[in-house]
Amino acid sequence: MRGLIEDILREAKRRGASFADIRVTDAEGTSVSVEDGQADRVSSAAVSGAGLRVLIDGAWGFAPTNTVTREELRRCLDDALGMAQAASGHVTEPGVVAEVEPVEATVSAEAEIDPREVPLADRVQRIFEIEQVARERDDRVVNTRASYSDSAGKLIIANSFGTWIEQEAMRCSVRLATTAQSGDVRQFATESEARPGGYEIVNAVDPEQWAGAVADRALSLLDAKLAPAGTFDIIIDPRVCGLLAHEAFGHNAEADAVWAGESILAGREGEQVCSELVSIADDPTLEGLNGSFRYDHEGVPARRHDIVRDGVLVGYLHSLETAARLGVEPNGCARAQSHQDEPIVRMSNTFIDGGDATLEEIIADTKDGLLMRGGYWGYVFTARGQFTCNVENAWQIRDGKVGQHYRNASFAGLTLEMLSRVDALGREVSFDLGGMCGKGGQSMHVDAGGPHLRIRDVVVGGQEDGGRA
Amino acid sequence: MSELLDLAQAAVEAARTAGADFCDSYCSDTTEVSVDVERSSINYCATIRDQGISVRAYVNGGQGFATVQQLDLQSARECGRRAVEMAKAAHPDPDFVRLPDPTEAEEVPELFDERMAGLDSSAFVQWCLRGIEEAREVASDAIVQGGAGAGWGDSALASSTGVALTRRGSSASVSFFVIINRDGDVGTYFEQDMARRMADLEGEAIGEKAARAALGQLGSRPVPTGRVPLILGPLAAWGLIGSVISAAEAEGIQRNRSWLVGCEGQQIASPLLTVREEPLIPAGLSSGAYDGEGVARRPRALIDDGVLTTYLHNSYTAYKSGVMPTGHASRGGYSSSVGISTSNLQVQPGEHTEAELISEVDNGIYVAYAGLSPNSVTGEVSTTIDFGFRIEGGELTAPISTTLVGSTANELLGGIDAVSSDYRDEPGLIMPSLRIESVQIASEG
Repeated sequence: MRGLIEDILREAKRRGASFADIRVTDAEGTSVSVEDGQADRVSSAAVSGAGLRVLIDGAWGFAPTNTVTREELRRCLDDALGMAQAASGHVTEPGVVAEVEPVEATVSAEAEIDPREVPLADRVQRIFEIEQVARERDDRVVNTRASYSDSAGKLIIANSFGTWIEQEAMRCSVRLATTAQSGDVRQFATESEARPGGYEIVNAVDPEQWAGAVADRALSLLDAKLAPAGTFDIIIDPRVCGLLAHEAFGHNAEADAVWAGESILAGREGEQVCSELVSIADDPTLEGLNGSFRYDHEGVPARRHDIVRDGVLVGYLHSLETAARLGVEPNGCARAQSHQDEPIVRMSNTFIDGGDATLEEIIADTKDGLLMRGGYWGYVFTARGQFTCNVENAWQIRDGKVGQHYRNASFAGLTLEMLSRVDALGREVSFDLGGMCGKGGQSMHVDAGGPHLRIRDVVVGGQEDGGRA
Repeated sequence: MSELLDLAQAAVEAARTAGADFCDSYCSDTTEVSVDVERSSINYCATIRDQGISVRAYVNGGQGFATVQQLDLQSARECGRRAVEMAKAAHPDPDFVRLPDPTEAEEVPELFDERMAGLDSSAFVQWCLRGIEEAREVASDAIVQGGAGAGWGDSALASSTGVALTRRGSSASVSFFVIINRDGDVGTYFEQDMARRMADLEGEAIGEKAARAALGQLGSRPVPTGRVPLILGPLAAWGLIGSVISAAEAEGIQRNRSWLVGCEGQQIASPLLTVREEPLIPAGLSSGAYDGEGVARRPRALIDDGVLTTYLHNSYTAYKSGVMPTGHASRGGYSSSVGISTSNLQVQPGEHTEAELISEVDNGIYVAYAGLSPNSVTGEVSTTIDFGFRIEGGELTAPISTTLVGSTANELLGGIDAVSSDYRDEPGLIMPSLRIESVQIASEG
């Protein structure tokens, strides 16, 4: 295999490419779906192929194949070179690549139990047992869906600098969604455990505690009122804080957005962009999180990236290309969903650092606000810096005490304005948002977190008038 | 195409031999060519050929599903055997009845355009250059992102009940996202065009429209919090209607995880709202004579004068409910199992133009675009108006910033008090504007 790949890379250079890389994937996975007591869907997927990328005369060409043979890789090379050459005369911002020292590495999967060695029937039964706990929790639980998936395989990353990395990868995940109903009100809660590793991730899930808690959250929402609309001081939990760090800020720190003029952070390095209480980082080297990895998909070693330190913007997340464009060292942030996608700048484990308060102290210090817990989803328009976060729960805070429980609340705003109004942070940071991030048509494993955090004067969208004018 | 059908039938045969009670196989061979624009420059060109086989097998009702990414006889047979292995590991499902028998239908014409399939990257480069130029003619400081591309390919579906279908299709799209940043005041917007045949692809003026709309978003400001009428422009209305129809898929209904449980045959929207499904329109974006299981599709009203006429079924949910499949089984390619979705949707236009609807609103919001999809389980809506304008005295005035909507599907649908007579159309789709009487919004104003 190595001889074949290196032959193709040499041929790419010989035919005029200033840079070329190939990623070769060979992986397999299984998934199990259990719904309402029936483990009646089990799937298997085999994924294999290669993605070839070339840079010639400032234009990029990309062509993947699902069949890794010399003939197919040559076809990919012809396609990629042909397309790039056709475009090269029209490129006004030529593509570039930062030169890096070649890396030669072999990375083993960090897993205790290879899921492929666990009998399929046992995997099915385990997920059934997890789902059963939620299903039998209460008569008002009307639907439960649990799913399991594993994947294991090898990824080869090679480029024309001479990098050759063989990386084993293994992942396992368990997800649960529970719907509860009372009268006309139907509410749901979801939870997941997902990260690189083996079947020990599934074994670590205590069905009674984990699945029971998901069902309890859905049940508690049945008695929650519709959220108020208006402007509030909000205290957000680590999950919502992670959503804020990832969606509102992190996407703006991706250097492809910065270079393309799509980020509110463009040209602001060294400036105060948030409250001085706020520090934000992205760290793929943290152990046991969903966005962790050893090398990015351009073969650059993973490292921690400080983005904001004490409110000052100190850096961006880079690919080989954006590092060259902005004249900095690559920092290993380019990843691709599969061999059929090109690597793009992605976050890994993004978080806001902790402060010095306890949650109790922050609540006691809040006169009129909302405590928000459980992030559902979020998105951002980076060019305008406008984001939205949707949360599962909110509780009224009045005179330092937690009161009425609300459901279905969103908050939105302009990222930098909002982060300048952060005035209290909890001590403890946790990561609780392991999931997938969508960008440019690709999904990627990420995690996010932070402490409890208070922001003043935030617009909250709800169904009833209730906030300050 | 017959080679694909041969592979699908070989996979089915292998699954039957391995013990499947019922099974089907889908094979596809597709090519996509695309050119990306970044910071107003051609940036990335890609040719992506994707091939694969999937097999769905049932043993005692338990479903196994397997995929491979090669197109050869050995892979097809192995995929069939693997699907049966998965099905045997699944628990028996007494609700599974059978896969559907073949049905006869005449294929919809003009789903494939030879000219489109033969395009090389230089055509897409030219589309992109034109879009960049158009945007910069509107605003010389416009930053253009986006691109152009086309996809084409063949697919085949075979089943143990005798379904044997092949299909060839093509499509192309041009889309641009324009950013105009004037001293920190940022206006952005997007425009796109999609088609199955070259004659329907406008290509022109996409960059210009996106740039004009981005200019229109400069100077946005908040509005007062309160209850106001909303006018949903075609794209905002389309997002709402599409998600409402999606919530009528029978699996979510049967599993009690849809806000439309118990609503079949019921009034779910204002009597002014009628939504038809038209799967047989020549060259329609989502046209096709058959659904993802080979069941013939047919035109029908899905919402008729505000009444939800039917849930959407694939064969599993239909037979479980004791009805016939409705032709809504979907496949997102070889890598995904069978789901449920619709083909082309058309919202029946009303009697007055969008401008007339706006002129009747003294104080309200025009929503150009927002993700107003109700939560599929709860039916609740809580989101931001991404692109919108204030309506004052019957006219659009300033663009709005940081404004959220809090509502429910019932309130939005029941509150429709007008549907516009003019509409946005894409091949097979009709998208008018909707006016909603009163909705809670929150903003900083």
